[in-house]
Amino acid sequence: MSAVSESPPVHRSSVEGSPLNRALRLGLVFGAIAVYVAVVGILPLMDARWIVVDVVSLGDATLIAIGLGAGAAVAARRSPGGTDGFLPLAAHALLAGAVAGGLLALLAIAMSVLDLRPIFIALSPVLLETLTFGLGVPLGSVVLIVSGALLGVLGAALSLGPVTIRKPILIGLAFVLFFGVFQELIQIMMQFGEVIGDLRETIFTWEGLNPTGAAIIFVLSAGGAYLWTKSLRAQLHEGMAHLSPAQQSHVRTLKIIIGILLVVLFPIVAGPYIGQVMMLVGLYVLMGMGLNLEVGLAGLLDLGFVAFFAVGAYTTALLTADSPHALAAWTSIPSLSYWAAMPIAILCSVIVGILFGIPVLGVRGDYLAVATMGLGEIVRVIVQSDMAAPLLAGAQGILQIPKPRIGNIELSDPVSLFYLTLVCSAVAAYFAWRLENSRLGRAWMAVRDDEDVAQALGINIVKVKLLAYGLGAAFAGLAGSIFAVMLTSIYPSSFQLLISINVLALIIVGGMGSLPGVVVGAIALVGLPELLREFGEYRYLFYGAALIIMMRIKPEGLWPSATRQRELRAAAGELEPDEPQTAPAGVETPSFATQGLEK
Amino acid sequence: MALLEVDAIHVFYDNIEALKGVSFSVDTKQIVTLVGANGAGKTTTLRAISGVLHPRGGDIRLDGESLSGVAPHEIAALGLMQVPEGRRIFARLTVDENLAMGAFRRRDRQAVAEDKERMFTLFPRLRERQKQVAGTLSGGEQQMVATARALMGRPRVLLMDEPSMGLSPVMVENVFETIRAINEQGVTILLVEQNALLALSIADYAYVMESGRIVLTGRGKDLLDDEKVQRAYLG
Repeated sequence: MSAVSESPPVHRSSVEGSPLNRALRLGLVFGAIAVYVAVVGILPLMDARWIVVDVVSLGDATLIAIGLGAGAAVAARRSPGGTDGFLPLAAHALLAGAVAGGLLALLAIAMSVLDLRPIFIALSPVLLETLTFGLGVPLGSVVLIVSGALLGVLGAALSLGPVTIRKPILIGLAFVLFFGVFQELIQIMMQFGEVIGDLRETIFTWEGLNPTGAAIIFVLSAGGAYLWTKSLRAQLHEGMAHLSPAQQSHVRTLKIIIGILLVVLFPIVAGPYIGQVMMLVGLYVLMGMGLNLEVGLAGLLDLGFVAFFAVGAYTTALLTADSPHALAAWTSIPSLSYWAAMPIAILCSVIVGILFGIPVLGVRGDYLAVATMGLGEIVRVIVQSDMAAPLLAGAQGILQIPKPRIGNIELSDPVSLFYLTLVCSAVAAYFAWRLENSRLGRAWMAVRDDEDVAQALGINIVKVKLLAYGLGAAFAGLAGSIFAVMLTSIYPSSFQLLISINVLALIIVGGMGSLPGVVVGAIALVGLPELLREFGEYRYLFYGAALIIMMRIKPEGLWPSATRQRELRAAAGELEPDEPQTAPAGVETPSFATQGLEK
Repeated sequence: MALLEVDAIHVFYDNIEALKGVSFSVDTKQIVTLVGANGAGKTTTLRAISGVLHPRGGDIRLDGESLSGVAPHEIAALGLMQVPEGRRIFARLTVDENLAMGAFRRRDRQAVAEDKERMFTLFPRLRERQKQVAGTLSGGEQQMVATARALMGRPRVLLMDEPSMGLSPVMVENVFETIRAINEQGVTILLVEQNALLALSIADYAYVMESGRIVLTGRGKDLLDDEKVQRAYLG
């Protein structure tokens, strides 16, 4: 919701028509979302997750958020002059909320009159009862409309309220949501020590957050946020300003160290499941950084990226596995340790990346996306084929890939493998960052923006493009190599097109061309769905929705790079008109004439 | 010996002959212009020089060395820098970054920094807008960016394609004054223009093109007075 109310005014001009029309339309949009959520069948699943036990479920929260959102959207899109007072606005928000609730009521009525279940299996009697608050259809529908209207007004009021109040409330709600939804994981984390154990028992029941706990969390987080925006932040900034530059840089280093410590220690506290999720996020971060070089910097839209991931995994497997398909089993190549195999896997990925780039050198834009998708599939099909089966084991896969060892310690549990991923990601991030700011990085940007001009400025576009594929592939190869030892067995079916799409989606959501964006995108698109397992089959639905919403309200991504931010600001209409009356030219610059251009 | 020699080149698009034996030369420190109507083959000539199109006959030489078979980016590295038609600046990058792109092949950082300083003396407006995204500049300013970007590569010949295109009349005057100023600093310029009047008035030497051939040559000022040219291009 905060995203709606704080969205940049980019699209405001595109919303035409009278305020009444707008309210109506927004109500319909939000109502449609609610109906959709119900019809598709996520709502019952969400209802199964309590936020506060026996009080609010995730499903309720979603519907409430939709109602509030309708009102907030009306408030956010009021006419730019904004001279109209609160009352007409409240009326419009009321209307929007009522329309949204009305659509749900229509759904409820339709469910009670028609037999929709053969088509929409999710529209069960239980859902009908939930939607109508167990009051029966006629009364329940009225309640739906009225509560929608009230929520609309509340949403508008909230989004118009001063930041010092709005922010703490939203933060408080977010914390409650977080603690409620992830109660299981948090309870596991809170099993140490007596004090923490007691605390856990006050906040949680075995089923989830209890009302007392929710109140405590809300008060603490909202209060903290209030103090923070009210005075603490200003004090802190002032305190920072008083420090000498050297001290300031110490503080910055300290912050970074604390951040690193948190990331390093977190999986130990949180347990193997979180470790596993974090490791998966790490793998996607690695791949995201690689694809970011190709797509974000060099502008080469690559949908066959999974091929490099597969090459890294298969190379590692063939070199290290204790299997009849391993190279050691039928050639004189000795079975290698993981540490020797990893660089070879990366190298093989680079080579495949370059080979992959050659046929698509002259292909641009949308065509490139399709062509690379085809190439990626070719790699998977070859691996799966009977022809290559003697070498690559076909659909049976390669089994018994040993875990990496350091001395006598085997990195077998998810947490230690997470650390391996973390170290690799850190090294890779350093390389990616250096690349971004290098000559090659600049050449990539030039090729991305205008290939012909790049060439005319002396950039060897063939070399530069192949390097983008090759270096991007290196990251994926490293990820694939870790992936192989994580699973200890690999199959061609693990390397589907969907992985390429996931990686592309996460860099778009995170912010094209931005390194921190990759991390944020991976957490949002890989980590979160992994934590909310029961929504697994809706994952791509979330992706679709997330992508559309992102493109509408925050097209630069969650954590955009500086360049992207600039572009979008420029596109938002800060263009300056041509000013021919001002003379700019060189005649008035005698200093240049005396210096001469050629030495 | 001329710095840049175009010697009887024939260029084909598939089987259509776009250039039918075009020859001309550019001497050091000259402004040479190719004028002619739309479709006469001016841009094709430039594309052949920059190595994007390959002539089926004839030769192009820089300082006596043939450029045939040399890749476009190598030709740029040899000192043929372009100010492309329609400017084609990097709209998403800042003015500074655009200029840095022009100096891509150069490793002499110190000298590059000095050259950038010179560009800002030549185009004071760009100094004010160093950190601004180039796409947000006005058409005239973008033309300055495109010109400065090419100059950052220390061209031996600056190839300018329709620099007046899409600019307001006042801006066009400015662009041509700039071209003259750059030339006075010793930069050799090959200028392709539809605006024959202005191009001829600043050119040392001019070639008039018509359907893939050069039909008239002479000193710029002389052609300006030529009756045929006046009738055909200057109305």
